Amino acid sequence: MDVARMLGAPGEAMRLPQDQWATSVTDVLTHTFAVHFEQNAFFRAQCDATDVTPEQIRSRADLPRIPLLPVSMFKRPDAHLLMTASLSDVELEIRSTGTGGVPSVARRDTDTVTRVVTAISGAYRDFFTISKGAGLFLCPSTAESPEMGMVKVFNLLNGVFDDHVYLVRDYAFDPQEAMSYLDKWDGEMTRHIIGPPFLVNRLLRYLELEEIETKLDPESLVITLGGWKRYTGESISRSEFDAKLQRYLGIAPERIRDMYGMIESNMLAVECEHHRKHVPPWCYVSIRDVTDASVELAPGQTGGIAILDALNTAYPGFLLSDDIGEVDESGCPCGRTGQTVSFRRRRQGAELGCCAVSIERFIESQEIVAECAVPVPGQE
Amino acid sequence: MPRFSATVVDHFTNPRNCGEIADADVRAFVGNPVCGDQILLTARISDDTITEIQFQAYGCSASLAVASLLTTAVEGTGLDSVSELDAARIEDLAGGFAPDQRHVAALCADVAHRLVDNYRRGINDEGLASCDL
Repeated sequence: MDVARMLGAPGEAMRLPQDQWATSVTDVLTHTFAVHFEQNAFFRAQCDATDVTPEQIRSRADLPRIPLLPVSMFKRPDAHLLMTASLSDVELEIRSTGTGGVPSVARRDTDTVTRVVTAISGAYRDFFTISKGAGLFLCPSTAESPEMGMVKVFNLLNGVFDDHVYLVRDYAFDPQEAMSYLDKWDGEMTRHIIGPPFLVNRLLRYLELEEIETKLDPESLVITLGGWKRYTGESISRSEFDAKLQRYLGIAPERIRDMYGMIESNMLAVECEHHRKHVPPWCYVSIRDVTDASVELAPGQTGGIAILDALNTAYPGFLLSDDIGEVDESGCPCGRTGQTVSFRRRRQGAELGCCAVSIERFIESQEIVAECAVPVPGQE
Repeated sequence: MPRFSATVVDHFTNPRNCGEIADADVRAFVGNPVCGDQILLTARISDDTITEIQFQAYGCSASLAVASLLTTAVEGTGLDSVSELDAARIEDLAGGFAPDQRHVAALCADVAHRLVDNYRRGINDEGLASCDL
């Protein structure tokens, strides 16, 4: 199955028999590898250094031979070296700023943007089957954060809703306002909540403190992206999160769907009803030994997450991330095949870096400023 | 109009004066805390004229390119002229910006002015946020 067919029929592509999946993902990655091998001098030098050519990638077992770019390279001032496409073909720059303050910037050309928009829309259709209802977005709008990857990915859902609202404005979030929108839509449309876990958690904390228990709708979904670590390093417990969503908003665990991705990659792994994050059929997740990234670990073993992505024509989408996790290739009861990926933690020494962390850090800093504000006589 | 001008494409692809002068006479840093764009200029100055200048920049393609362009525009230039550089002039030198790139012109004008101010006041900025490469 080639990339165009995968994108056009994502449901079929995600349910290929496992042996066909392996052949298919190898074929599309080999084709993409050949493009970057021919057209990207920097990447070609990495290939030459490890003595690998596209002709040598014949089966899935050969995929780990494709050189990987560490994601930290997207922070470099000489990031132009990464590009296969010319800057004049670049349509969209997406960025993420971690705790270190240096932005990671991923530059996508028109072909890649077209493919990614199609890919993400197809994944949303396949996993969520939403075509109406109301979306409560617990994040800034794209107008406020036009280059923020997480917001851009959420925003692609926006078009299917009959009504929506973005509730983070000027880096402030008011859970009371969130509840007023949920009340407004009650009985009118199915209500969905979309946002990073820390902001959904803020809403839940408010409901807990105010002792408010309500029920959203039978088909309501809570869709999250952005990681489970707060900017302070503290983790949000997924099981507690699910239990609170069930208690305070009446959302069943199978209607809570987390997603995993990073701005440098076009891979968005979406959770099915069994809480397994499915790697899209045009990507291959290769788990690497943390002490020797050239060694691929078997499914089930924990190591560094590398993503090989066939959609990217702007730069080689063969990335070694700072994330640690594992893949599972056992069949999923949902019927989708290929791989599922589990994120465990960041690599030791890696900064906490994602859009959600940036938003939370700014929200908290605004709150601290507000708390410390010196009252002006007559304006208290 | 293309999204990036030919000048911006050229400076992004072939950056000039990229780096940091170790024993510079002045260092100036400006960063945008929200989007994360950052530019550090280091320069040698003689008789109120910039004789050598280098930049380091992180952020969007336009900011990287325009930081390079700025160094070529101010090298050999008197500090008074550098003080007069404004965002409109930088946009003009860059061959125009798309609306979402215009913040880069302001950032570059800010760092150019800061370079002059720092030199005249004997101040040196620490500069870029750490980058765990």
